Amino acid sequence: MALRSIYRGLRRNDSRLCSYLHSHATSFGFKEVREDEKSQMVGNVFTSVASSYDVMNDLMSGGLHRLWKERLVSKLNPFPGMKHLDVAGGTGDVAFRILDSIHSVAHRALRDSHDDNLLGETQIFVCDINANMLRVGRKRAHDRGLGDDKSLVWVEGDAEKLTFGGASMDGYTIAFGIRNVTHIEKALAEAYRVLKPGGRFLCLELSHVELPIFKDLYDYYSFAVIPKVGELVAGDRESYQYLVESIRRFPKQEKFATMIEEAGFQKVEYENLVGGVVAIHSGLKF
Amino acid sequence: MYRSAARRLLPAEICRRTLRLASPTPFSAPIARRAAFSAGPADNPQNHRPDNTVAFNSSPSSDERRNPRATARPKAHWQEEQTRVLQASLGHVIRLGWTEFAMVAGAKEVGVSPSIVGSFPRKEAALVEFFMDDSLQKLIDIIDTKEDLKNLIPSHRVSKLVRIRLEMQAPYISKWHQALGIQAQPLNISTSFKQRAMLVDEIWHAAGDEATNTDWYVKRTVLGGIYSTTELYMLTDNSPDFQDTWAFLDERVRDAFDLKKTLEEVKYLAEAVGAGMGGPVQGFLKKVLQG
Repeated sequence: MALRSIYRGLRRNDSRLCSYLHSHATSFGFKEVREDEKSQMVGNVFTSVASSYDVMNDLMSGGLHRLWKERLVSKLNPFPGMKHLDVAGGTGDVAFRILDSIHSVAHRALRDSHDDNLLGETQIFVCDINANMLRVGRKRAHDRGLGDDKSLVWVEGDAEKLTFGGASMDGYTIAFGIRNVTHIEKALAEAYRVLKPGGRFLCLELSHVELPIFKDLYDYYSFAVIPKVGELVAGDRESYQYLVESIRRFPKQEKFATMIEEAGFQKVEYENLVGGVVAIHSGLKF
Repeated sequence: MYRSAARRLLPAEICRRTLRLASPTPFSAPIARRAAFSAGPADNPQNHRPDNTVAFNSSPSSDERRNPRATARPKAHWQEEQTRVLQASLGHVIRLGWTEFAMVAGAKEVGVSPSIVGSFPRKEAALVEFFMDDSLQKLIDIIDTKEDLKNLIPSHRVSKLVRIRLEMQAPYISKWHQALGIQAQPLNISTSFKQRAMLVDEIWHAAGDEATNTDWYVKRTVLGGIYSTTELYMLTDNSPDFQDTWAFLDERVRDAFDLKKTLEEVKYLAEAVGAGMGGPVQGFLKKVLQG
């Protein structure tokens, strides 16, 4: 895996940024739609794929998505007593990993009563706009034995308008979700609002590949193989066509990093995994 | 020469005056943001490589200027915050070791979310490297202010400086072996080597060394060896105030300074023996040297 961290300078790209974001708000894959329709259409996609979401993830990425999520959680470096918000985290993958990480950290740490209390204070909020995805997530939690765990809180909500108070979260992650948000800058602004000073923003998202030959292979795989697999396994070709198209319409790594900076985050950097197929953007709030 | 390099890479005063980022003004921000009130250059320290920015931060600057018109806290630059967290974490090292738990405790003490610990490139290494830089900076300050160093002969000066530097580690001695282990890890070894090289160079510079030939490398290597062995000796020293360590140090420094004399003496001795042995040996030596 090629890993690369790049530091960001502050750039002023306002006017170009405006038109870019407007295009994201009205794009549904390669189709053009009205802004108020986009949210509904994305909702339909996820209602339809919810039940086979995890299986499809495994098939499309060859199981790699698990490694990507592991990398995301290790970058986050969770600690006992943390208040974390996982947005668009419907089926709970990232939240479960964070919880496991905290429990293993707590075992390694010095055992004293202070730490035990901290462990009880840990809260992972899983927020998703789609009730079906949350339903699948709750079921998976139950199967893992985390059904009654008070640390895991499932919340239905909109990434553009979170119901959490300002400066209440130590961490904010959004894995494979920000692409589906209609107004990215609103989601980023909300992320900035809910984070405490010192809090970290982490975004795991499918991104752009620039390496010459690999790019062509990846494009072929995306447009020829994935919709076909979607049709065979999930019975839903259109949703997966939307998926691969929306990846192409999403801003490139550098542009997205600029957007994160514009929202107020500092130390914005990104790391490409698998040559750019996936990128983890991170930022600090102060 | 190296002194100026040290000043450039450990910008103690420079850091205090510098680089408050102009606060970004997002075009759709619901929250009113105050523009930064310091006139720093608009671009980030882009020339900083990621692993340098943490290693070469100085001791915390206390320049949180109070803007009388503002009601909110001034917008802190992330590097200053990181430095503050690391500084506070040092206080927890004795109890928790050179680990991320000490850094989490430090962050809580400073009032910053412990999530910041995840933003340090190599976590525990960041803490150790910060300590090394901080100690070097303190050493430089002592060198600048202490006048009586000039009255000592070079070997005593070197000895005193190494002692002053090692005494800074004395409070952490119970957990210092951990720090050494962290510094020896492959990812961290290049940075720790650089920091030690700078330290050794600084001490020689203060001892009045003006060598410009290969002696420069020999001297640094020798002092590096003395410093490391004394550091290790200190780990197992239980004498009051580390007296045994300082005695050990004095012995080593004296040996090193004697080494030069010893080498010359060996050369004279070899010549004398050669002369005493007479003709056949000299003839043999001539043939060997020409052949």
